[in-house]
Amino acid sequence: MQWLKRFRVIVAIIFSIAITIIFLDYLSVIPSNYVAFLTSLQLAPNLMRTLVILTSASFGLLFVIILTFLFGRVYCSTLCPLGVLQDVIIRFANIRKRKNRFRFRKQYYLLHYSLFALIVILALAGSIVLLNLLEPFSNYGRIVANLLSPLVVSLNNGFEYIFDHLEIMSLFHIQIIYVSAMSAISAGIFLIVIVYLSYNHGRLFCNTLCPVGALLSILSRFTIFKIIIDVNNCKECGLCEKVCKASCINSNNKEIDFAACVGCFNCISACPTVGISYDARKKKIHTTEININKSRRSVMKIFALPTFGITFSKIFNDVLENPKNESGYLETHKHPISPPGSLSVERFASLCTACHLCVSSCPTQVLFPSLLEYGIAGLFQPRLNFDLNYCNYDCIICSQICPSGAILPIDINTKKEIQIGKVEFFKPDCIVVTKGRDCGACSEHCPTKAVKMVPYKKYLMIPEIEIDLCVGCGACQYACPVLPNKAIYVNTNTIHQKARIPEVIKAKSTINETNEFPF
Amino acid sequence: MDRRTFFKKSIGASVFAGALFNEKFNELFNVNYNIDGILPFDLVAVKGGEPDVMFRKGIDALGGISKFIKKGQKVVVKPNIGWDVTPERAANTNPILVSEIVQQCISAGASDVYVFDHTCDNWQRCYKNSGIESGVKKVGGKMAPGNSEKYYRDVKIPNGKSLIKAKEHELILNSDVFINVPILKHHGGTRLTIAMKNLMGIVWDRGYWHRNDLHQCIADYATYRKPNLNIVDAYYVMKQNGPRGVSKDDVVVMKSLLISTDMVAIDTAATKLFGMNPTEVRYIQLASEQKVGRMDLENLNIKRISL
Repeated sequence: MQWLKRFRVIVAIIFSIAITIIFLDYLSVIPSNYVAFLTSLQLAPNLMRTLVILTSASFGLLFVIILTFLFGRVYCSTLCPLGVLQDVIIRFANIRKRKNRFRFRKQYYLLHYSLFALIVILALAGSIVLLNLLEPFSNYGRIVANLLSPLVVSLNNGFEYIFDHLEIMSLFHIQIIYVSAMSAISAGIFLIVIVYLSYNHGRLFCNTLCPVGALLSILSRFTIFKIIIDVNNCKECGLCEKVCKASCINSNNKEIDFAACVGCFNCISACPTVGISYDARKKKIHTTEININKSRRSVMKIFALPTFGITFSKIFNDVLENPKNESGYLETHKHPISPPGSLSVERFASLCTACHLCVSSCPTQVLFPSLLEYGIAGLFQPRLNFDLNYCNYDCIICSQICPSGAILPIDINTKKEIQIGKVEFFKPDCIVVTKGRDCGACSEHCPTKAVKMVPYKKYLMIPEIEIDLCVGCGACQYACPVLPNKAIYVNTNTIHQKARIPEVIKAKSTINETNEFPF
Repeated sequence: MDRRTFFKKSIGASVFAGALFNEKFNELFNVNYNIDGILPFDLVAVKGGEPDVMFRKGIDALGGISKFIKKGQKVVVKPNIGWDVTPERAANTNPILVSEIVQQCISAGASDVYVFDHTCDNWQRCYKNSGIESGVKKVGGKMAPGNSEKYYRDVKIPNGKSLIKAKEHELILNSDVFINVPILKHHGGTRLTIAMKNLMGIVWDRGYWHRNDLHQCIADYATYRKPNLNIVDAYYVMKQNGPRGVSKDDVVVMKSLLISTDMVAIDTAATKLFGMNPTEVRYIQLASEQKVGRMDLENLNIKRISL
């Protein structure tokens, strides 16, 4: 059974690299069905998605569940990118520290399962903020998208600089990669915590805080094939316990707390005999006694956290309250616009795990991590930021790759009928009025001519809007040259509406059939 | 000092002096730019053929592309690739025409032929979906990015009234020959976009132009930057909802093409082709007043070719 660990390592490397790459695809070259396949094997987002919509991606969920019923939490050591990241750090710690340093520990099941229960209760109540803060895939995504991606883009630009001097045009400079400071800082803090925990305590995070770990831990109690210590072959050397990152092997009692086992197979590899291996025989699982007093206090803490958060968000929102601006442009910043396919702002906020896959895949980078625009419950969920760019009329990438179903898959024709916001034109700020000169940048960019130019004084043309044609793509707002407050901007549709398809008026042909030129 | 820097400097100097001497210097200026001296025609107009065929006939009437390109020279071709739409929507220059131009440049011995635009929509999608990227690469041209400020250099516009400086793409500054290949179409802001308006795609900060009298800025820039050759694509012409268009119904088939070294003349002719009066397009009027070129088509030597 020695091959098990090697197999696990190979699968883990392939999957974690593949997952990392989809978050670094700033050139949008990876086909979305490949991305969808990879993310379908991620438990938390795919569970959300399957609850919302049954697609082929749901097979991924089924696969993970069957896998767990058969072999336990092997997911945690192969398919989970955050688990693999921790394994890398643990391996690094093995070099720096002693190699065989782990000790059996009673698992904090009460804390872990209570936290999981709280996440489920909060999710049912409509807020998935706690899930988003602890869920491994989204946290890994935020680390890559907010920290690694800017680094890779900088590297790209560095190489491009050199290549450019050699007149090689294979790379090009990426103008800016928009990074949300708060989102990057929070990803950085999470990374530090994960590095600290795994460096010093192995897979402690997975067995105390991780909601996916908790769910799989519960499932793995019903697993058919379990790793057990074969009493007859055991030489009582205790090596298996010392290599166990999850600290779930008690070599004294020859018992394994399988609900905490992350399926890394280090123990099987370490065993000098065949004393430890998979076995289908039903054995009584060693259940850990729980130190009630200690755990109860931590449970209290978990329940106190959201209450604090809500109070905090209220205070923050009051601070953000701006004095009424006549133009309403500043007002638009306070109400987030959710991507086409998310149906409504509320629905989006209740389903998005803030993995930032859409943020890193959006070709125009209009999708930007929010801070408190969706409220404290929607921390870091992306919104469309029309000051940065606008939503491409012919692009549906985010809807094709969203792992959690927060953005439903839509085809291009459906997208063109979705109105995510409504244009508003504040005439007194328009260049044509203030400077008495032609401009038309907004109408130029408008894909549906919801903003069109009509005659205004003498020879001038001024924008006029037709709201039901507007899809809310934000091109007009982005293109408007007025500073600092744009004269044209998009207000959110909290519930997405249907845009009218522009009626066809055939252009008049002026072909000169007489073969004469008009000059 | 290489040939290009010499041109740049001498042009800069002549433009500056041109402010004082006006018309006389302008003539000198034009001679500077027509590499092989006097061309047989001021403007060539072709109609009734496919885009590549019309270009071949038109450029032959001027003496062939080799009149403009010497062996080993670096050429930059600037079509309009502003929008993420398909070729039949006529928001971007016809890819068959661009491909033909690039191929002729290479046949004439150009060392490199670069094609780029500072697009409005996402540039990679524009390059791809306009059909221009594949058309250019197929014949050995190179697509260059214009998406980043890093590629743009500060330039001064000595004769500018509203626009006195801009950031211009380095390929325009570094190339020996600059070929401007706009498409004729309706434009909500400026009425029409043709040759002079197409130059907005070689500068970085267009917001400044929009804020500071768009027409004047277009004319100002044309006093500074004169392409060696302008080729106006009017095969498919967007008659309404420009410059992006909403559907194929905005487009009519005109099967026409114009070639000239004079941007004002070519814009005037294209406006008439479109069915508008050139005085309705203010930047053409302004550029003519600033002696960029001539609006008096009746006094120009025009070659008309019907296929």
